[in-house]
Amino acid sequence: MGISQRVITLYDQPMWDSISRERMELQQCASCRRFRYPPGPICPHCLAMEHEWQPVSGRGTILSWVVFHRQYFEDFPPPYNAVAVQLAEGPIVVSNLIGDEPKGSWIGAAVEFVYREQSGRKQHAVRLAPGGGDPPAR
Amino acid sequence: MPNGKLSKVASVVGVGHSDFVADHARVRGGEKPHDSYGYAAVAFRAALADAGIDRSEIDGLIVGPTTAYERVGEILGLNVRWGGQADAMLSVIEACMAIESGLAEVVALVYGNDQRSAAVNYGGPDAQGAAAFLSYVYHAPWGFTSQGALYAMMWRRFMAVRGMTEADLGEVAVAQRLAASRNPNALMRKRITIEEYLASHYVCEPLHLFDYCLINDGGVALIIAEASRARKMSARAVPIHGVARCDVNEGATSLEPRLIDFYLPAQQKAAEQVFAMAGIGPRDVSALQVYDSFSVHIPLALEGYGYCGIGESGHFMREHGISLAKGLPVNTSGGHLSESYMQGWAHQVEAVRQVRGECGERQVPDCRFVHYSSDVAGKAVSIMYGR
Repeated sequence: MGISQRVITLYDQPMWDSISRERMELQQCASCRRFRYPPGPICPHCLAMEHEWQPVSGRGTILSWVVFHRQYFEDFPPPYNAVAVQLAEGPIVVSNLIGDEPKGSWIGAAVEFVYREQSGRKQHAVRLAPGGGDPPAR
Repeated sequence: MPNGKLSKVASVVGVGHSDFVADHARVRGGEKPHDSYGYAAVAFRAALADAGIDRSEIDGLIVGPTTAYERVGEILGLNVRWGGQADAMLSVIEACMAIESGLAEVVALVYGNDQRSAAVNYGGPDAQGAAAFLSYVYHAPWGFTSQGALYAMMWRRFMAVRGMTEADLGEVAVAQRLAASRNPNALMRKRITIEEYLASHYVCEPLHLFDYCLINDGGVALIIAEASRARKMSARAVPIHGVARCDVNEGATSLEPRLIDFYLPAQQKAAEQVFAMAGIGPRDVSALQVYDSFSVHIPLALEGYGYCGIGESGHFMREHGISLAKGLPVNTSGGHLSESYMQGWAHQVEAVRQVRGECGERQVPDCRFVHYSSDVAGKAVSIMYGR
């Protein structure tokens, strides 16, 4: 077993640099204006290569969640959760919910980014948005 | 759109596999009976004997992803005029394509995997499959790893959107254990109940231990021949009536095909093609074999291939049934959950044996068509075996 590692391609580096500044940026297509995740060389929707790095709001909605009961990484002793969050800008990211947990289903809960240290790197987690409530599943 | 060019151009004339049960016992006892090449060799000999043909008749070779093509050809002494490397489902389709195009007439499909004795990891820092699927490793900084976790995330949302329960999914593990209890080649033959399923521990919640495939060593091989030559070779040749494939790649790493679409668009397109090519519909299918690295694949396939309506898989599994005892028999060998984890290869063998009527206690009565489906990472593949 080892510790968790990032995948950092040529296109991921600017995103991780922005995360270390606690304001995550993603590529926004200069043509169709869509945000893409993971970062890449081209817009999969319109095939334009021109883009701008834009900060994301850090606001999103939980689509699904899991709880790990088995250990896979030295730096992630179970139990711990992982959540799939659809950002307001469109892309789905995986993160960890910290702080209060919704009662019952987590699906549909409004969350926002917080940044924290994990294994020597800065990365995002999410917490329930103030007043976000936990609306019912779609 | 769908065409019938590959329908019945080729037939399976021989199937074989290693001794899953004996090898697993030896591996658990600390021995290493074979490596991947050795398991592949054992399976090839068995398939050749089952076909009743001489090795010299083989002019095509496809090997699985876990062994090198040239080395398998070398150890089996096979010089061929066409060859390649593919997973279980695509190797069957590629064999049909090679035969239809005239590049080969008798193709050996050979797979061996020593994943258990070699301690292959499917999660964590060295997760297998990372080179092919970025989603297997991209979310590791958040501790999100293993293919099981990907299906746990998918199942959690599917369960909520479809109004299903954990007990509904338990129907899969229970039905496949029933099948395995009637299969002497199966590793896990003790029957379980829904209550035992629900009481089993979580690995990645909401998936329980019994939702996960086994990890064991083994090998599987098939011999596929041009249809008219197959009829001369064997009275038990099983024609391939249809094949189909539809891949969803867009958004794969950010999990959109899993969490938004539940693979449905890919499966529906594959279903349209395979049923049209075979000239049948879901009601004509006697048994369904589904790639079941996790039990979640079964409700996805039932809805995706039209065995039940969208949103009806929970009711279908519970009320209609998916076992040898009731309803549509699914994974009649016990599948990856209870027979052997041969990454879809042993499912082809089971499909062929069911059509031949050789399955003894677990034989599906009057078995005419067996549909094989896989949807690994949203790549939907179907093969229709029939009489």
